[in-house]
Amino acid sequence: MTQYAMVIDLRKCVGCGSCALACKTENNTALRKNGQTHNWADYIHETTGKFPDTKYRTLPVLCNHCSKAPCVEACPVEPKAMFKTAEGITMHNDERCIGCRACQEACPYSMSEVKKDGAYGQYSVISYNDEGAPTHPFFTDKTELIKGCTTSGAELAAKTGALPPDKTAYRHPDYEAVRRDNIVEKCIFCDHRLKNGELPYCVSACPSGARAVGDINDPASEVAKQLKQHKHFVLKPDGGTKPNVYYIREYAAR
Amino acid sequence: MQIKRRDFLKLSMAAGATAVLSSCGGTKEPAMNALAAKGAGGKIGELPGEWKASTCQGCTCWCPVEIFVQDGRAVKVQGNRYSKQNDGKVCPRGHLSLQQVYDPDRVKVPMKRTNPKKGRGIDPGFVPISWDEAFNTIADQMMALRKAGEPEKYMLLRGRYTYMRDLIYDAVTKIFGSPNNISHSSLCAEAENFGAYYTEGIWGYRDYDIDNSKYVLVWGCDPVSSNRMVPAMIKRLGDVLDRATVAVVDPKLNNTGAKAQEWLPLLPGTDGALALAIAHVILSEGLWFKEFVGDFKDGKNLFKVGATVDETAFLEKETHGVVRWWNLAVKDMTPAKAAEITKVPVEQIIRVARGMAAAAPNVAVWMGPGAAMQVRGGYSAMAVNALNGLVGSVDNVGGTLPSNKVPAKKMPELGAYQDDLAKKHSKLKKIDQRGTKAYPALNEGKSGGGSMANNVATGILAADPYDIKVAVGYMNNFVFSCSGAERWEKAMEKIPFFVHITTNAAEMTQYADIVLPGAHAKFEKLCWVKQKQNRYAQCTLLQPVIEPLWQVINDETDFPWMLGEKFAERGFPNLIDYLKKEFKDPETGKMATNAKEFTEYAVKYYTQDMWNGKSKGGDKIAGWEEFKKRGMWNSDAQPYKSRWGGKFGKDVEKDGKKTTTGTVSHKFEFYSETLKKALEGHAGKHKTTVDDILSTCNYIVQGEQAFVPHYEPPFRHGSKEEYPFTFIDYKSRLNHEGRSQNSPWYYEFKHVDPGDVGHQDVLKINPADAGKLGLKDGDAIRVTSVAGSIECTIHLWEGIQPGTVAKAFGQGHWAYGRTASKDFAKGKPRGGNNNTLMPFDTERLSGANVRNGGFTGVKIERL
Repeated sequence: MTQYAMVIDLRKCVGCGSCALACKTENNTALRKNGQTHNWADYIHETTGKFPDTKYRTLPVLCNHCSKAPCVEACPVEPKAMFKTAEGITMHNDERCIGCRACQEACPYSMSEVKKDGAYGQYSVISYNDEGAPTHPFFTDKTELIKGCTTSGAELAAKTGALPPDKTAYRHPDYEAVRRDNIVEKCIFCDHRLKNGELPYCVSACPSGARAVGDINDPASEVAKQLKQHKHFVLKPDGGTKPNVYYIREYAAR
Repeated sequence: MQIKRRDFLKLSMAAGATAVLSSCGGTKEPAMNALAAKGAGGKIGELPGEWKASTCQGCTCWCPVEIFVQDGRAVKVQGNRYSKQNDGKVCPRGHLSLQQVYDPDRVKVPMKRTNPKKGRGIDPGFVPISWDEAFNTIADQMMALRKAGEPEKYMLLRGRYTYMRDLIYDAVTKIFGSPNNISHSSLCAEAENFGAYYTEGIWGYRDYDIDNSKYVLVWGCDPVSSNRMVPAMIKRLGDVLDRATVAVVDPKLNNTGAKAQEWLPLLPGTDGALALAIAHVILSEGLWFKEFVGDFKDGKNLFKVGATVDETAFLEKETHGVVRWWNLAVKDMTPAKAAEITKVPVEQIIRVARGMAAAAPNVAVWMGPGAAMQVRGGYSAMAVNALNGLVGSVDNVGGTLPSNKVPAKKMPELGAYQDDLAKKHSKLKKIDQRGTKAYPALNEGKSGGGSMANNVATGILAADPYDIKVAVGYMNNFVFSCSGAERWEKAMEKIPFFVHITTNAAEMTQYADIVLPGAHAKFEKLCWVKQKQNRYAQCTLLQPVIEPLWQVINDETDFPWMLGEKFAERGFPNLIDYLKKEFKDPETGKMATNAKEFTEYAVKYYTQDMWNGKSKGGDKIAGWEEFKKRGMWNSDAQPYKSRWGGKFGKDVEKDGKKTTTGTVSHKFEFYSETLKKALEGHAGKHKTTVDDILSTCNYIVQGEQAFVPHYEPPFRHGSKEEYPFTFIDYKSRLNHEGRSQNSPWYYEFKHVDPGDVGHQDVLKINPADAGKLGLKDGDAIRVTSVAGSIECTIHLWEGIQPGTVAKAFGQGHWAYGRTASKDFAKGKPRGGNNNTLMPFDTERLSGANVRNGGFTGVKIERL
């Protein structure tokens, strides 16, 4: 059985922020609001030890595409809005989602309200788009800073014909390139790219080559080989969810 | 372990999937993507679009990039697939730039000021005007200066630039008749160039052959975040850690330091002592690289602790003055003494020195601004770079390299277009006071050769050598980006007529009389730059990959053209004549009839030898259209040892006058004959002694030590009693210099700077110090120095040493836009500007603006 997984090589990762920013440009996710980060990819940072023996590492985080996904289990819709694909991706169908947030509640890697951020270890792989609220209020706002002289978010959206103006337009039967209100959202491993033989955008954008995606059950795959070669760990291994984002090697060399 | 993309693609499960390598560094032609949305019969995938080539100017890497354009909109950014500098990848800045081109606070029309009163928080009363009115006003103001016989009172302030700078910076200013074309260069790195020039004869940034390094000593910078090789270094750091040693000298923990085998957290400003101690170990233990430095004639090492050595006992090869350097500055700087000064443990100093020597010559000593941009940083920069000499890594495999040549054309002579007034007045003294006794600014050995941008404010305020009446600024924001920022507010209030060409209403814009909406360089401007990374020099185009949403101006070419036309209407055609006659289309010989044609002809003129088949080395490009499509040209790899054999300097004779470029001895200099000549030249010009110059420039040493890399104790503004903490300024990896702070993503991901917190501007403090002050994490604080006060948030972090506090430069805008400032209308900053805290000071020998070396003492109070 195919199970897509991601392996992140922490020795290569420099915590630069490219993957999470690239994801925002690919998937047109919103700005943080009302305790929702809308970051399908994010980071947690850990500082340990005392000066001068300080250690620091960054862990890139995203949906773990768990084999036993509690978000799927919790989805009350029939057929489920959150479901596993034949490739093991935890997929979200925008149309069927009723915005109940049971998935967010059930996911051990999500929070219903994120008050801080990765500096304090807080993140949420599932975010919720508020009922009745625009997805990108930054680009529907008509305020002009200097009247008649500077533009506005709304004018940018009108002139470019897109919301957000830098919207990457793509198609997928299960999800839209920009979410509507009252649905949840999360990383779908860029299935619209995978289906065309392209890597998820965070993988292709990573300047360090730290990320790999493939079928972990295929021993010939890069990810399977990496896991065979290196010690590895997952986040919250005891949760019984069988997460499929793996971390190999140590971030620091000392 | 290499992750092979193609291997994965082979395993891709999608039936009928085609591997379209449109997303990263393949070597195919740019995919037009017309067949996008292929999967599942066109129901899955990206909609049509095109990757178009341009260049990122988010930092000084100047990465060749590609921008994905759908329906005329810029939607994604990646590295240029042909780039040997960044391997088709960009750092986070690349992605962040989409929020700059689509920034809701961009200026969309020319505007004029209606409130004559100028100052922070005073509404300029900007109203829209036509382009014609804007240029008529500017031309009238400028021509009035010529009429009054005082064209020198016009000043051009250049910020971030491309190599089309010649036109606005040189052509406009010199043909008009002013000496005052002022570059921002000295704001960030001139002392670094000083260190390289007065050892190895390069006034410029070194390149690094990291693929072959066995030891990388990073000093005062964070190469995976900033400096001039960011994506290349991000790609390589993991591999380097696997096969080599990386050691990082930085008073606070940075990204490279977090991953490195060695972190040397020295006390700010003690770099010279640490470098000399490393040299001491290498010399006293006989570990220097003999093929480069040479050896004692009888092979016996006479470098004993504290012992003066006979110079004639040593025979040097590629270097000059190693024994004299030992005698003057190294012999007594033992690791024990340096440990006392720097607080870096003795055993670590010895371990790093021996590790470097064992890896010689494949050692890259990567000197950054932290080692140099200090009040007394000229000599520490020399000391750090001298280590490259000791381990023979200069121009060597795995070491430091000069840039390969980019065969760009030079600016056509403009003398014939200067009238007598222009000829005479463009040679008058400059407003930045460069070359005066107290400001040697010894760029390439010449007194007053370097720019002193931050001293312009001093010149304006004192009207010394005269007052400035008309100024134009482009892609700059000195009111925010210069230390001692508040001086600039006063100086700008004093300039009667100021024109700002800008994307956003920045701090500087608040003092403008006319504002012109500038093109965003990466997305909307046609121009070119040259740079090098990773052994390869590049020439890369910035191109208008999208149609601007309103009329914007190309500051460096449209502005001179449009101004030239207005000058001609007023009876002064010299500027437009120069632009028309000297920048004909190199292919057709046609003369430009408008600004757009002129811009293209000028870019073609400068870059022609890279696409007309005349260039001997580098990429072969068949014509202008192909060059535009590819967007860039790569040189061949920089060869090794290009300057070995006495080629670190060259004597040239021109018009009967002998000059030297590079080092005077033609060797790598540990005893700098080149600096000696430059200092003596400057002293002679002011009829005084070198010792007097040194004292005037805040240096302590006298005599011969002035000509060798040596240690000078750090200079600090503010007493330890009143200002107990030493402030450390550094660059965020999300900074586009000062231009990304109106982008919401900047704040969302601010925590990718180690020790930082998203949506906050944090001052990092060691928890032990915070405990003593009774401060809790997240407390709102006021930080005060002798220069000013800011308000921000305290964050407790073990990555910062007790007694010091650190904050990234970037936040604290009181203008620029709704996201950057807390209250744009009232001029209230969001966070605090480090330049408010750091007083204006200069490393005077180079003219560099001081930012580092612990020169700012601060006190912290809870709000």
